[in-house]
Amino acid sequence: MQRVALVGAGGMGATHAASYGKIQNAKLVAVMDIRPDAAADLAAHYNAKSFSDAQKMFDEVEFDIIDICTPTPWHIDYVKIGAAAGKHVCCEKPFGRTLEQCREAIEACEKAGVTLFIAHVLRWFPEFKKAKELIDFGAIGSPAVVRTTRGGGFPHGWNNWFANFEWSGGAVLDLVIHDFDWLLWTFGPAERVFAKGLYNSGIPEKDYALITIRFRSGVIAHVEATFATPGGFKVSLEVAGDKGVINFDNTDAAPLVIGKWQTESSGPGVPVPSSPMSVSPYYLELQHFVDCIEEGRKPAVTPQEAMDAVALALAAIESIKTGAPVRL
Amino acid sequence: MSQEIKPVRIGMMSFAHMHATSYAASLTRIPDAELVGIADDNPERGKDMAKRFKTQFFGSYEELLQQDIHAVIVCSENIKHKDLVIKAADAGKHILCEKPLATNIEDGKEMINHCKKHGIRLQTAFPFRFSPAMIQAHQAVMSGQIGKILAIKGANRSKCPGGWFTDLEQSGGGAVMDLTVNVADLIRWITGAEIDSVYAEISNRINHKDFDDAATLTLTMNNGVFATIDPGWSKPESYPFWGDVTLTIVGTDGAIWVDLFKQKMNLYSDQSSSGSWEYWGDDIDMLMVKAFVNSVAFGLPVEPSGEDGLAALTTVVAAYESANRRIPIKTVDIGCNPAV
Repeated sequence: MQRVALVGAGGMGATHAASYGKIQNAKLVAVMDIRPDAAADLAAHYNAKSFSDAQKMFDEVEFDIIDICTPTPWHIDYVKIGAAAGKHVCCEKPFGRTLEQCREAIEACEKAGVTLFIAHVLRWFPEFKKAKELIDFGAIGSPAVVRTTRGGGFPHGWNNWFANFEWSGGAVLDLVIHDFDWLLWTFGPAERVFAKGLYNSGIPEKDYALITIRFRSGVIAHVEATFATPGGFKVSLEVAGDKGVINFDNTDAAPLVIGKWQTESSGPGVPVPSSPMSVSPYYLELQHFVDCIEEGRKPAVTPQEAMDAVALALAAIESIKTGAPVRL
Repeated sequence: MSQEIKPVRIGMMSFAHMHATSYAASLTRIPDAELVGIADDNPERGKDMAKRFKTQFFGSYEELLQQDIHAVIVCSENIKHKDLVIKAADAGKHILCEKPLATNIEDGKEMINHCKKHGIRLQTAFPFRFSPAMIQAHQAVMSGQIGKILAIKGANRSKCPGGWFTDLEQSGGGAVMDLTVNVADLIRWITGAEIDSVYAEISNRINHKDFDDAATLTLTMNNGVFATIDPGWSKPESYPFWGDVTLTIVGTDGAIWVDLFKQKMNLYSDQSSSGSWEYWGDDIDMLMVKAFVNSVAFGLPVEPSGEDGLAALTTVVAAYESANRRIPIKTVDIGCNPAV
């Protein structure tokens, strides 16, 4: 049984907590957030203790895993504190705000002999798993051009931290890091990146970027990152190879639509499409991590891979700033 | 001051490009147009087409141009556009020229100047501008419905057409030459801005031959808007449709998504091995040819013009150079002044 202490009781913290609630060999024992109410609310759901001070949590609670769901710039602090205390570490993506932070985190965990797992959950999303399986199987032959889309409106979090590009890295680092990891996992190392975007443009609550990646294999990928478009969260993937093409669009793949007549209390009667699964990708991801800890295995996402995804995102941001392609 | 021309008598110069059959069919359906005849340097093809469209075949372009016609439609191999356009202009015929207008900037400029000198209206065949969905998107942008435009994501992919399209001597380039210009034209039209620079990643990983078939282009417009274009012969033979044309327009107050050929239905028939998508939307080739006929009939300016064709072609030339040099290429540096 792995005892988990969660840091950060925001949206992703709640998602992780819900997954631990379903994992047989794990138990959420503590929730820490600098906002005492947020920590207490989430902890109460799972019979866990709540804290607003990390040191107090380490002093008062025995646990095996620290799960970090804070805003990006604070990942590194909690990785270090956790590793120093001999805890295994699960850290939300993106791994770090800088490569230096990623390196420090890897070193701290290696030195402490603890497992470090970066939660690149896309690898457990069934559509992205299926796409990689089909590609690896040779269903579309040798891949040539890849197009991905991800995003919707501007996210809102603690202190509007997503709008602080020095903290969040905008849509390029925070959002399409998912696609970067999947692309690197599927198509191998990247050679160079060229990107255009609104990064820190000063347009309030808008970020949008179009990123072109050339892989060493010759594959060309085009990534759309949007915190600027209405109409709900959209995800699409298309891979064209020399023997075929696969494409997927979440707006088409909704087996369930719930539509209600508008009433005064319900607000506008917009039908809401959804794609329910018997198990959530977050559950599968965290179950994998917990099993790896229990069985002494290495998790499927290595810290180096997570750092490579950050490197690609930071290179894209550099390209947006300089107007030139950036070699990796 | 000028009298209305009715009917507008039109000749077709070459059926090398498959769009010629669509344009010829359009002419037979437009009441104020008359398809007078066909000339083709491939006589067998020309005779077949003359028979199919119940019109006369002429053994040479010169013979066609001597007929009492007002205008021509040029659908030759890309590399021959220049010669045919100049011949037609010399003969005083207005011209609808298949895209890309030319395969290099010098040829494009010469064609435009020659037509101007002879008072010839030169239209570039960009049918996407005539799509009702695209026209509504344009109107929505113009009326400020999505605020100020920030970025555009465009794509135009098809199956590999083969034939002379993949012979660089006749096409001047692969998928980037074939498919970029239509979308580049839409981006110029919608932003009202000119292309300032182009970055491109280009490959041949679909066919593994000496022509390009897969690419991503990034355009920076002179008003700061950025845009990308995917021009690819990346649809496999088994794809249920010829390809697609899509545009995402992102503005400060919203976004517009256009999928130009989305008006189709699924067909599953035991008479074929796989399903297909059957298009039922407007025939935009017909709407474009109609606009050309109208311009000739009433002496109106043509749109999109030869200049529009050249501006779009600049994207292609810059893209090839960018892919070679691996840097963004300014359009002014390759001899195209966006302001002119």
